[in-house]
Amino acid sequence: MAKNIQLDLETVENREMRLGSIISWDGKASELVELSRYEERALRHKGCPGAGKNGEGCRLCELNMPFNQQSMCANSIAACQAGNIRDCVLIQHSPVGCTARNPEFNLAFRNGLERRGIEPRNINIMTTNLLENDMVFGASEKLKKAAREAFERYNPKAIFFSMSCSTAIIGEDLSSIASEMEDELGIPVAPMQCEGFRSKHWSTGFDISQHAVLRHIVNKHPKKQPDLINIVALWGTDYFTDMLKPLGLRVNYIMDIASFDELAQTSEAACTSTFCHTLGSYFATALEEVYGVPQVRAPQPYGFAGTDAWLRAIAKQVGKEKEAEEFIAAEHERVKPKIEELREKLKGVNGFVLTGSSYAHGLISVLRDLGVTVDGSVVFHHDPVYDGGYEEQNTLKTLVDNYGDILHFTVGKCQPFQLPALLSRVKADFIIIRHNGLAPNAARMGIPSFAIGDEHFPVGYDGLIRVGEAVLEVLARKKMNQVLRRHVELPYSDWWLSQKDPFILAKHPEILDEEAEEGQE
Amino acid sequence: MAKKPHTTITHPHYACSIGAAYTVSAIPGAIPIINCGPGCVDQQYFTMSFCNGFQGSVGAGGGDIPGTNSGENEIVFGGAKKLDGVIKSALKIMKGELFVVLSGCSPQLVGDDVASVIKPYREQGYPIVHAEVPGFKGNNLWGHEEVVLAIIDQFVGETKGVHRRRKLINLWMGAPYFNTFWRGDIIEIKRILEAAGFEVNVFFGSESAGVDEWKSIPKAAFNLVLSPWLNLRVAKHLEEKYDQPYLHIPVLPVGEEATTAFLRQVVEFAGIDNTKAEKFIEKESKRYYYFFDHFADFFAEYWFGFPSQFAIVGDAAYNIALSKFLADQIGLIPVGQIISDNTPVKYREEVAALYDELSEGVYGNVEFIEDGYLIEHKISEYDFGSSTPLILGSSWEQDVAKEKNAVLVEVGTIATEEVVLNRTYIGYTGALQFIEKVYSAAVSG
Repeated sequence: MAKNIQLDLETVENREMRLGSIISWDGKASELVELSRYEERALRHKGCPGAGKNGEGCRLCELNMPFNQQSMCANSIAACQAGNIRDCVLIQHSPVGCTARNPEFNLAFRNGLERRGIEPRNINIMTTNLLENDMVFGASEKLKKAAREAFERYNPKAIFFSMSCSTAIIGEDLSSIASEMEDELGIPVAPMQCEGFRSKHWSTGFDISQHAVLRHIVNKHPKKQPDLINIVALWGTDYFTDMLKPLGLRVNYIMDIASFDELAQTSEAACTSTFCHTLGSYFATALEEVYGVPQVRAPQPYGFAGTDAWLRAIAKQVGKEKEAEEFIAAEHERVKPKIEELREKLKGVNGFVLTGSSYAHGLISVLRDLGVTVDGSVVFHHDPVYDGGYEEQNTLKTLVDNYGDILHFTVGKCQPFQLPALLSRVKADFIIIRHNGLAPNAARMGIPSFAIGDEHFPVGYDGLIRVGEAVLEVLARKKMNQVLRRHVELPYSDWWLSQKDPFILAKHPEILDEEAEEGQE
Repeated sequence: MAKKPHTTITHPHYACSIGAAYTVSAIPGAIPIINCGPGCVDQQYFTMSFCNGFQGSVGAGGGDIPGTNSGENEIVFGGAKKLDGVIKSALKIMKGELFVVLSGCSPQLVGDDVASVIKPYREQGYPIVHAEVPGFKGNNLWGHEEVVLAIIDQFVGETKGVHRRRKLINLWMGAPYFNTFWRGDIIEIKRILEAAGFEVNVFFGSESAGVDEWKSIPKAAFNLVLSPWLNLRVAKHLEEKYDQPYLHIPVLPVGEEATTAFLRQVVEFAGIDNTKAEKFIEKESKRYYYFFDHFADFFAEYWFGFPSQFAIVGDAAYNIALSKFLADQIGLIPVGQIISDNTPVKYREEVAALYDELSEGVYGNVEFIEDGYLIEHKISEYDFGSSTPLILGSSWEQDVAKEKNAVLVEVGTIATEEVVLNRTYIGYTGALQFIEKVYSAAVSG
């Protein structure tokens, strides 16, 4: 099989080119499964014509909206990845504003350290703080100065550079400076071409930062550690050990909160998995293709079916089938009474999920296992295929096959203005959400939100219990949301709030011209 | 003062100029439209609001802000077309009375002609203005002034023969959202000025009448700049544009003595009858000392110790205001004051002079530093004596506060250990809340 991951290249291709990812779509989940043509598109089958190369031929149709609201960018994602490694330093080659989300990543970092039993402290991300003159005369010297400062101040094991819109436009050569500084400082210096305008979806930023780690940090001469399993994660609590220790495995979390050495040893692991293929597939596939570290060929570990299959796939990988079967049986037995109790309490409850792509597929499984009705969901983008491309990893198909269709399945990049129409189509007693911007408007419409900060929360059998209990608590908050609904307004026009179709402007852009005068009233 | 050397920045205490979207967002009925990359204003939300006392937003803030999300296509072929689509739909989708387009780094660098995109809308009578605020030109405070000036020039516009109202004041204080306590501060200062008989245009927040208030800028008798340097540019512009005088009071009043002096100064400048003001001062003073008197018991006989020496990191406005109050009214010993807001070089001498005498015989030790690494290093070197140090600062100072075994009270950007709604540390009421905050922190744990 031809290799698809190209670590010899400076950077990774954007998701929209590599995987055919889209950010705007509306329909039934089953239709999207069909249209995605996962199997044909899989890069390991060399992709369908055009999908992996020019994007021609089989690009998924998108609904192009003339109106946008803002959310994250790839630069920001790269900062929340490469900027959250314990003993490395990220230098953002940018004006100061590209670092403005770092206080939130700092909260995540401090929380993450605490969750993993390490003393909390602040992140150390630097910016070259570029000014007007730098845009005219270039800023390479400032980046070099910053690298020397980072080295002196923090004694890092590696330094990352990140590109911003402005430094990309003025043509800063991150790669040459990185290799020059690598020679001078004697530590890896990894450039990331993660300028925000580059990709239409922020998740390309995950791939860019992983690509940088794979090229510059991962041990190129691995000595196998047969009891080590990589879990591509964010800042989550270590729930994976509870599930993997019975199989004799040690968990190596990457990339947030990890140390340089923990990243380096990923090439030595027995296998790689993740809580979310949207996040982890590129890294896992690269390790598989380049270092022969197999990725787990299974659905994500959500709900009974997903967790069972995931554990069995890992067990097969490491020859612990018997232990796995015993563990699975014992776990089912253990959690069953509690889950029955939760199902009883959650009878008739309707949920709505808004998160990153494959994570949503997992969460909906969990909710449906708990007996919660889910008739609608928004995923912030959709990858019709993952880099892994294994049939067992087709998360949306797994969801539809195991749990049935989702009537209103929407792909949208955090567009709060669509929320009133989206929520009017379904019953929703609560929403589950990651990323900012949407939950506050749901709140104003009377719907409480469960903001999942700890992304490992719903994982595994205990994840079902954790989510079920959390939903009950969140439902109680509806009192507050009803107060809001009685007294506050959304910042949208009555005309817009009366629209039933959240994508009307994509289907009928002429509507803007027709009623231009009325909008002015 | 010499030109300041460039520094890299770790742990910035401000956002970039696109953060001024929150200056727009703070005006009831105004909608910012962001013309730049896909993550710019989302990033600023965290420094300006979420990680700054979890202030949240109303109207068009947070995720609701329209933007072009400019991609590769807009960089290569220009972003005018996409911007036009966003403006056209924003005018229809958003409920707004004033639309402010803020252009960031990308359109500026690729040379988009934003003015000609907006022109037809302006000609059709849409209330839409444009501010060029690329992040490489300045921080959110610079952006704040740019946005205010853009609204004045392109929306408030020219006026002839306008009738000045003797008791109407235009109040210019800190930048909304950037100042963690802006909502409470405006309420307190407006309350005080109104009690003396003034009417006050506050422009931002719960007490503002929204865009109508902006239209009435030329009617005010004068502009009151209540900040060390921010908004001076606005006041000078208004002086030229409308021949409108301004009164600059650089230090926010904290506590009875400072607030009373502040009110008397404004009344005297305005030349209005002071009867109302004096009556109000009497009432407020009585209330203030009723509580201050209660506080005396704790302050005089708490056995278990509390901080005697303090350092402060923050924007110029809060830095001098709180330093003065603690040094002059409470008797805490100032160890060092670090101004982290990138005060423009031309104002630095004037601002530094405010620290010359914080109280009789008490002198400041002020420095302007923007890089959090250097700030933390500086604090680490301060000698706080043997008692528990008090550090007034931001969440970025958590680690150094821990190292110094200090009490940390967050008084500005970034604040992730505070949930701030209607709170103020200035005026009569604010000073008492500030005392409560500092000493609750001191006695807890």
